[in-house]
Amino acid sequence: MSIKLNHVSYTYSPKTPFEYEALRDVSLEIKDRSFLALIGETGSGKSTLVQHLNGLILPSEGEVQISHYLLSCENGKRKYVDLDRQEEFKGKKYRKKQFNIRNLRKYAGLVFQFPEYQLFEESVLKDVSFGPKNFGATDEEAEQMAKDALKLVGLDDSYLPRSPFELSGGEKRRVAIAGIIALNPSVLILDEPTAGLDPQGEKEMMELFKKINDAGKSVILVTHNMDIVLKYVDEVVVMHDGKLLKQTTPLKLFQDEKFLTTTAIEPPFVFKAAKALISNGLNLNLNNVKDIPTLVQEIKRIKHE
Amino acid sequence: MKEKIAIELKNIVFGYLKDIVNIDDVSFTVKQGDYVTLIGHNGSGKSTIARLITGLLLQRSGDIEIFGEVMTDDNVLRLRKDIGIIFQNPDNQFIGSSVRDDIAFGLENDCVPEDKMEGIVEEYSKKVGMYKFLDKEPTNLSGGQKQRVAIAGTLARHPKILIMDESTSMLDPKGKREILQLIHQLKKENPELTIISITHDIQEAYESDHVIVVAKGKKIMDGKPDEVFSDSKKMVEIKLDIPFFKRLNMELEDNGLDKYEANSLDGLVEKLCR
Amino acid sequence: MNNIALGRYIPGNSFLHKMDARIKIISLIVFFVGIFLSYGSSVQNFIMYGVYFVILFTLLKVAHLSFFSVLKSLKALWIMMLFLLVINTFAVQTGDVVFVINNFAVHEDGLVRTGYIIVRLILMITLTTLLTSTSKPLDLTFGLEWLLGPLKLLRVPVHIFAMTISLALRFIPTLMEEANKIIRAQASRGVDFAEGKLKDKFKAIISLIIPLFVSSFLRSGELADAMETRGYDPQGKRTKYRRKHWKMKETFQIIGCGCFLAAIILLAVYKPDFIATVQGWF
Repeated sequence: MSIKLNHVSYTYSPKTPFEYEALRDVSLEIKDRSFLALIGETGSGKSTLVQHLNGLILPSEGEVQISHYLLSCENGKRKYVDLDRQEEFKGKKYRKKQFNIRNLRKYAGLVFQFPEYQLFEESVLKDVSFGPKNFGATDEEAEQMAKDALKLVGLDDSYLPRSPFELSGGEKRRVAIAGIIALNPSVLILDEPTAGLDPQGEKEMMELFKKINDAGKSVILVTHNMDIVLKYVDEVVVMHDGKLLKQTTPLKLFQDEKFLTTTAIEPPFVFKAAKALISNGLNLNLNNVKDIPTLVQEIKRIKHE
Repeated sequence: MKEKIAIELKNIVFGYLKDIVNIDDVSFTVKQGDYVTLIGHNGSGKSTIARLITGLLLQRSGDIEIFGEVMTDDNVLRLRKDIGIIFQNPDNQFIGSSVRDDIAFGLENDCVPEDKMEGIVEEYSKKVGMYKFLDKEPTNLSGGQKQRVAIAGTLARHPKILIMDESTSMLDPKGKREILQLIHQLKKENPELTIISITHDIQEAYESDHVIVVAKGKKIMDGKPDEVFSDSKKMVEIKLDIPFFKRLNMELEDNGLDKYEANSLDGLVEKLCR
Repeated sequence: MNNIALGRYIPGNSFLHKMDARIKIISLIVFFVGIFLSYGSSVQNFIMYGVYFVILFTLLKVAHLSFFSVLKSLKALWIMMLFLLVINTFAVQTGDVVFVINNFAVHEDGLVRTGYIIVRLILMITLTTLLTSTSKPLDLTFGLEWLLGPLKLLRVPVHIFAMTISLALRFIPTLMEEANKIIRAQASRGVDFAEGKLKDKFKAIISLIIPLFVSSFLRSGELADAMETRGYDPQGKRTKYRRKHWKMKETFQIIGCGCFLAAIILLAVYKPDFIATVQGWF
């Protein structure tokens, strides 16, 4: 299941004094099993881009393909094409049948920043089952999906009957993420999921996403944290001023010094340290350096040869 | 020259609920003019301590002294005039409907004469770099800009103590840098200003004058950054982040590579590459 | 010409925009008094209402607003007015018979009564819209606070109400942004705010309202802390950053108001025959 953006542009509040072009001619493909980081300054278009991936926003120009659905805007009217069934839906209603926009949401699960605020049910179980129920699961199915998702994020059965409002910030965060994981999306998109967590919490959360990615899902992270980018991610997409500037691997990105200076991206310190050692004669293999432990392993390897 | 003590906490005990203790017998001293950082894991009690110092919360037992005066119900409003606090959420402390109105809010509360207010508002907006934004509304400002306005509004009341309660936690990297730079600059301009910064930024703590570490409501460590950060294992144990080189050294030690431990990049290069 | 969303402030530079909010509020009240006074027979009253409409049209023109968009915004009220018309024609059986439908007599008084209600409503709504479109919400709050000032003598906490209202105004855009965020987050969990059975729509609204409420409560706690630590004492004395000046212009305008009030009271007391007077001129 892949998601493709084809020359997508998006303008907020068109034809008003508040008109703002957030995305300009962006083309991107999210392949199966990607682990991707989306980086860029505030205002670069990251959150607008990400909302195109689950159909929350439809492009002003260009097309978005989510699985077998093709979304676009024709003359200001939304157009949905079901490529499998060769059906087209235009505007808001198409005769008696209407395109169910929810079809899109289950392919890509989107977790916004500080997702704790979306919790509202009486119990953790009810809140996490809310999503699956909206997509047609029966009560039993939804509860099972909820329990599985909660286990995945590290919350055991004792949490099920508790009110989400009495949990700590970190626990609430995990419940909110479980609420999206329970939908079993093929792509999991998270906006700064580790913001405000302590180092232990951050590590646990990233290990969870790694596990999900290893199990076959694509994971897309919007982040400012370059340590995470170096350690976990396979691909980096750099956004600036609504444009997609670069799509590359973390290592290639951090080695492109000219690019880094023009975009004010700061590589993680462990990378800078490794580079300094290499340029002073130590023959480290940069591909193996992902964090401090792996750096030390590389040093050990070299020094023992 | 005798150093003045700005804040002293003596055996403070506090709990939000009847049977719970959130602050367990905490004592420390803050010297006037120091830049103090208060660090600890989420839920360790850091913000609670800030609220106790400003008199927003009342401790169960123990004393809080501001410049030698014990805080009581009768003098808390007066003592509070010397303490300014910047909270974490930029929106939830922006009271005025524009930058001007927000900076003026504190002045109105202090009964500053009306004809003097305009001058003060403009002066402090310039100090934080928000002069051009005086008539802007909060919805059109970034998090960093809103925090700058909060700082202006607080400083305009001439506090002797400034508490920053995780004021950069909700900002993006650019906003964080802005605020840290501003605080350092203000400290230079006002050497007598005592600053207490509650933070997760370990680099900031490393560069401060005095570090206080709390965990689970207790004070764990208290002293100069070098002393406090020397015990890296303890830091990890209480779930705190530690500076890069401390972490590196810990890892080198665990792998039998003690001889390469260093405290700077040059030192590391020196030890490994020569 | 601008379209009016009933009640929204529309920036502008007209005479009305520049008028002090306090005087506008006082004028509004004077007008309202004028609308409810009786000037004699129903014909007399409708003539007065006609005069008021002319004044309103002029004011709307001055403020660059369109009367027709006010009427359009009243669409929701048309049904209610129709309903009133029906009720009154059935209930009021006095006065001359105007016409007969299906053996049922429609009397004059019923129509007149309804006429009064409809005309007064339109006048009041247009006047209020005129006020809110030409005055910034904060100016209105200060104006109200000043006008209600005397109530402080009766221990009514006018300044606290004013602070509450100005805080509410400050946070409306913030709350709307927050609601937007929550809607998007819930939409990503499959909530459809537009379609669905009643039960589903109810659940959808709950998933928006509860988080909004919770965050608003937390927010108000934090705001209170911030206000306290910046020295706010609701009972204490405070100076005011935004002062309102009272100059010659304001004095003239207030005198004008007073004259208007005097005029309509005199008309209501002496009830001169308008038609006869005009005929007398020619």
